[in-house]
Amino acid sequence: MNKPGTLLRLLLCLPLLSVLLSGCWDDRELNELGITSGSAYDWEDNQWKATYQVINPSSGASGMGGSGGGSTSSPPFLTFTVKGRTIMEAIERTNLTSTREMFFSHSRITVIGESLARHGINQLIDMFLRKQDARETVFVFISQGDAGMILDQLMQMTKNQGAGIQLMIEQESRLLSYYPGTRLYELAMALSSESKSAVLPEILLTGSRTMDETSETAVTDLPSRLALGRLGVIKGDTFAGWLSQKQAFGLSFLTDNIDSATIAFPSRPATSDKLDASFILQNSATTVHPVWDKDHYVMEVNVKGSGVLTELGSVMDLNDRKAISEMETSLEQRVLELMNNAWAEVKRLGADVTGFAVRVHRSDPKRWKQIEKEKSWDSVFQEIELRPQVSIEIERTGLSNKSFKSVQQK
Amino acid sequence: MPQEPKKSRQTTKDPVETSVPAPLPLKLSLEDNLQEFSRRIGSSSDIVIRHYKSEAKPPLTLAFIYIDGLVNADTVNQAVLQSLMENSTLNGDSITTEAAFNLIKEHILPVGGVKEARTLEVLLPLLFDGYTLILFEGLQVALAADTSGWEKRSINEPTSQGVIRGPKEGFTESLRTGTAMLRRRLKTADLRIEEYTIGQRTGTGIALVYLKGLASEQVLTEIRRRLNAINTDAILESNYIEEFIQDGGLTPFPTIQNTERPDAMAGGILEGQVGIVIDGTPFALLAPSTFFNFFQSSEDYYQRYDISSFLRLIRYGAFFVSMLLPALYIAVTTFHQEMLPTTLLISLAAQREGVPLPAFAEALLMELTFDVLREAGVRMPRTIGPAISIVGALVLGQAAVQAGLVSAAMVIVVSFTAISNFVIPSLAIANSIRLIRFVMMFIAASLGLFGIMSFLMVLLIHMAGLRSFGVPYLSPVAPMIPRYLKDIFIRVPLWGMNMRPKTNLGKETRRQSPHQKPQPAEDAAKPSPAQPKPQGEGPA
Repeated sequence: MNKPGTLLRLLLCLPLLSVLLSGCWDDRELNELGITSGSAYDWEDNQWKATYQVINPSSGASGMGGSGGGSTSSPPFLTFTVKGRTIMEAIERTNLTSTREMFFSHSRITVIGESLARHGINQLIDMFLRKQDARETVFVFISQGDAGMILDQLMQMTKNQGAGIQLMIEQESRLLSYYPGTRLYELAMALSSESKSAVLPEILLTGSRTMDETSETAVTDLPSRLALGRLGVIKGDTFAGWLSQKQAFGLSFLTDNIDSATIAFPSRPATSDKLDASFILQNSATTVHPVWDKDHYVMEVNVKGSGVLTELGSVMDLNDRKAISEMETSLEQRVLELMNNAWAEVKRLGADVTGFAVRVHRSDPKRWKQIEKEKSWDSVFQEIELRPQVSIEIERTGLSNKSFKSVQQK
Repeated sequence: MPQEPKKSRQTTKDPVETSVPAPLPLKLSLEDNLQEFSRRIGSSSDIVIRHYKSEAKPPLTLAFIYIDGLVNADTVNQAVLQSLMENSTLNGDSITTEAAFNLIKEHILPVGGVKEARTLEVLLPLLFDGYTLILFEGLQVALAADTSGWEKRSINEPTSQGVIRGPKEGFTESLRTGTAMLRRRLKTADLRIEEYTIGQRTGTGIALVYLKGLASEQVLTEIRRRLNAINTDAILESNYIEEFIQDGGLTPFPTIQNTERPDAMAGGILEGQVGIVIDGTPFALLAPSTFFNFFQSSEDYYQRYDISSFLRLIRYGAFFVSMLLPALYIAVTTFHQEMLPTTLLISLAAQREGVPLPAFAEALLMELTFDVLREAGVRMPRTIGPAISIVGALVLGQAAVQAGLVSAAMVIVVSFTAISNFVIPSLAIANSIRLIRFVMMFIAASLGLFGIMSFLMVLLIHMAGLRSFGVPYLSPVAPMIPRYLKDIFIRVPLWGMNMRPKTNLGKETRRQSPHQKPQPAEDAAKPSPAQPKPQGEGPA
């Protein structure tokens, strides 16, 4: 008789217990939040220098372009720079200057200054992984100068700069594949993997001046823009060097990070080296096989790709199968060249951003144990011989069979 | 309205303090009887007492009593008065009063219902039902002739449950019209109509309508028991009955459906539900009812099954929106900002700039405002009704946003919540979530999504424990009976619903012959037992 009543009462008490877990004291109204869209970290005077970009909601920053309402004269975001001996100390100091509580869940990007990259970034990664409202999915960039300056720059077409940069890198890695966007957890994973190396795309200002006044963005051709530049290489937790854009592209082939890419190539390599044709690589897959060859590893890199011809500047009849296979060979040569170029630079830097260590570990665990014991990967890496093989197929040639030049010459 | 006072619980036999004297047999003297009548019913202006004395020797002395307004004057004049007064045998000599009584009862009165009674207690209710009483000098028995006929509202389109396609007639306040409408839809010998009179002062007629063989005997016995247990002085509307007989008095969820539509009622009866028609109100009851019954509209069966299924899914969605949307908004904007897409968060944050109240207070204010507006809309005289929409929409909606009192997003949330509430076909369940919504908002403001989930679980446990006359409230989902799900979240084509679900504790019986899916002739030639059904027994 007593039992069902007791059970019901207990059940009703369950939701009451939740009061102890979370409660009204945790609530934050939206107008008390400083929504952080990006952060930048530098190392200056043996201190952390953190810059935060906080969205100014009343400027209508939600509108991705166009007039999103609100006053256009107030900037879409505000930045402030704080210093501290630890990162959290710096973050907490924001409360000395800001009216809003920092809210990091909507951060999109983090820019690491070269100064900090040279000092070491593991403390930063630890903070991101540990802190509850920090997002491990932020895209990480590296900048040559003062990283905080990057966050001051206003963008056109999008008011939320952090989100804009994210769009930029996502679009780049989808359409261009020069460098993969690196998210913070990917950076952490790469640095903690066998390779202990990672790459970060560089973000830079194309001009010398920072556009940080809203009135300055009211021009069609902004004198100074944000752009993606080279690829920064991190080894261990410090900066190791730069890869050029071309080398970065080659690295993308080596690491199978090609989504779709445009390759310029000489259509008739036999007659001229002029890059007079373009090809959109739509599918590409790279396989890497480490093979132990007596005293060193040989990496058999196999690239298979296919795509569409989009531009042709030479006299050529595409009905001829031979002409196409000639072009395919030329393309393959071009990709080979890109890969070899990248490999040479990677080898010079001595940072295993190709992830070969992971491949070796997976295919040859016994020898990897040996290498690990002897801590000899760096020297083994230097001995690696790259044996690339590329096969590219032109699947379609677009809407015309002949190049316009050949029509003209008739 | 006066309802049974709680204190009378001890005296279960006679809780109503009407003076009910012991049955009083009629006296021999007409004069004494009439005196007793006037003592009991007073000298109300609408009571007509007509004396009649025949020319015979000894004269036959009669008195006619009827209530003006309840009787049809033509019937009284022609069928009762005229036929008695002009009858030669009755007015002839040497007829005894007993003979005259029998003659009148058996031959003379050209009306359908003639009853005889010996006590005032029997006669009075008949008088109030519009009968004409005929009292005889020298007899202790009286006659009552059915001459009832009062002004009734004609059959109109239901105002609360309209349809685009489907019958447009609704019940009226008259019990007899209601049962006739059901009888007209269910022309089967199995249709049973049981009548009760409940309420000492109102004497409201109540009809239990069901199909014998389909309705569960268990349910019927239970309903009869509960109806008989009602001891109150007044039943003015079906809700009086509903509150007295429904299971679990302390639940926000209705366990009895009400409908104004005879077709919906017929549909329910055809699925084994029991209908309760109440005199004096166009709203009739259907029991037992599960949670899902409240989402079925009779129009579901008058439209193609695909659109019906779609609309039904929308209704369930609207149910959750109406219950949860303000609570979710509060929870997400005050606790879980990370769940919103960035652009939405920024635009919400931009709207909240300068809003003085916290989100919860803002939501509460707007929800209460809407409920005030809604109530005002119901109460307002029809001629000034449009003023409500102007004041509500323009002044409160737009101006409040412009004045910075509330954010535009909150106005959207509140309006969508309100509109969703009207999507649910049954007002009964729509009203219950109106209240739950406020509890939800409060919990969301203090505990966030976690609280919302906890409270939903408590609600679910509560609903799973509810019964409607022995039928689990969440059946056929809990307990799960997959083959009865054909008409719950979606509606399958009519030719796919061959069996009648026995969720109402009735029997699972065949509704129609199988293989009725329309097919080209050569295919249909094979096994289909072509049993032509003149009337598609549409489930409702």
